[in-house]
Amino acid sequence: MPGDDVRVAMLTWEYPPRIVGGIARHCEGLAKALAKQGHEIHLFTLDFPGAPDYEETEGIRIYRTRSEVGHPNFLTWVLLFNHYIEKRMADVTRLVEFDVIHVHDWLTAPCSIDFKHFSRKPLVFTAHSTEHGRSGLHIPDSFTIDGLEWWSTYEANKIIVTSGAMKGEVCGHFHVSDSKVEIIPNGIEPNKYEVPVDKGAVRARYGIQPHERMILCVGRLVPQKGIEYLIHSVPIVARRRPEAKFIIVGDGWYRDHLEWVANTTGHRWRVTFTGFISDWDLVALTKSADVLVVPSVYEPFGIVALEGMAASVPVVASQVGGLTDFVEHDRTGVLVYPRNPESIAWGIDHVLSNPGHAEWLVKNAREVVQKAYSWEAIAKRTGKVYKEAAERKEQL
Amino acid sequence: MSYTPLPPVPEEYKVLSMMHNIGAVIPERSLTPDELAMWTGIDISTVRDCLQRLKELGYVEHIQVSGVEKYIVTKVGIMKVLTLYS
Repeated sequence: MPGDDVRVAMLTWEYPPRIVGGIARHCEGLAKALAKQGHEIHLFTLDFPGAPDYEETEGIRIYRTRSEVGHPNFLTWVLLFNHYIEKRMADVTRLVEFDVIHVHDWLTAPCSIDFKHFSRKPLVFTAHSTEHGRSGLHIPDSFTIDGLEWWSTYEANKIIVTSGAMKGEVCGHFHVSDSKVEIIPNGIEPNKYEVPVDKGAVRARYGIQPHERMILCVGRLVPQKGIEYLIHSVPIVARRRPEAKFIIVGDGWYRDHLEWVANTTGHRWRVTFTGFISDWDLVALTKSADVLVVPSVYEPFGIVALEGMAASVPVVASQVGGLTDFVEHDRTGVLVYPRNPESIAWGIDHVLSNPGHAEWLVKNAREVVQKAYSWEAIAKRTGKVYKEAAERKEQL
Repeated sequence: MSYTPLPPVPEEYKVLSMMHNIGAVIPERSLTPDELAMWTGIDISTVRDCLQRLKELGYVEHIQVSGVEKYIVTKVGIMKVLTLYS
């Protein structure tokens, strides 16, 4: 291991422009900050139509790999693309000697574990979530994914999780030693929200009149995000706040069901589903909202809430998982009971009814974001974990 | 309050996911409905119905390759597929 700067092979199945959940954004923010601090980052990921096979951007070398052979079965496809990424890594290794391998989630774990053994380099595994937490273990694929997650935690020299809740989940479910796991939260770029936005125009574009209140929810439309409970809260909120309108941003396989739930509320006209929107539109919409609601039932971290805090929007979030690490009830946001429409409605009304208090929450929230959740701080902590992983490897 | 049990993943999204996993995301690897039916083991009429719905939603697009009707997953379609797995 050289001095403080390390040469990292980072692996992730999603990286911009291939973006779905938080992993792509996490890897982008972390890789950029690590590169800025002098580390040499080689990022291996999957291809995306229109994106180059290789590029260097902001100090990051990005290798996008196409799986030349496919298969309709998800797990078979995953193992096939791991083979092609591993082949690409082998090619790069002829020219570059890595100090550490850093893999994000189980999807690229098979090739990273192989690479650990043939290169004899330390492996760092970031567990962003678990199959057990995401969907429970009910079908054969889930048991296999759970097994791959366990195998990743076993093979890793160090494990990074983004919240205290995730540490408990990983240590408890996979029987991992506490000392092997480090909590390093997700980060954001607070400057991203320091842009002028014509809130009236943005709101008008989404059908929000000047006298109406905009309640925003952003996330993948999947069951663990708890959006159906927010939709069930719409009639309750409307009784207290007839001027309430709800904007739901994102897409997912659960969308048809959520639209059906919205149809049953008698308030369908209050709810707009936008589908996927651009990064810039999301910043503008977030800054223009009156409340951001994060109604998740499972949330390893909850970066959407952190983004709302950075955008100076009052946050109402479920009291679950990583959200409780940074949303402090009635100080940096409002916590509500998960799976509970009454509680969600209370949280929304609590914020809308007390503008002075909401402003105070926003001020506190911004201070927390700037102090502890910048990518610069997170990259420094990650660099320390790389060094510890190298030391741990020597002990094994 | 009571909630309905979790609905199954709609059939068209299963087809979309299989197209993506096969690699039908670029014109060179586009598939005809017949090829897709063979790859997935789903009957051709179901495949055609699903493709029609997916096309309306913007998740697949229809292209002509040497005069043959073929389909690929769009960028938005890829993102839709990834939500199934993350």
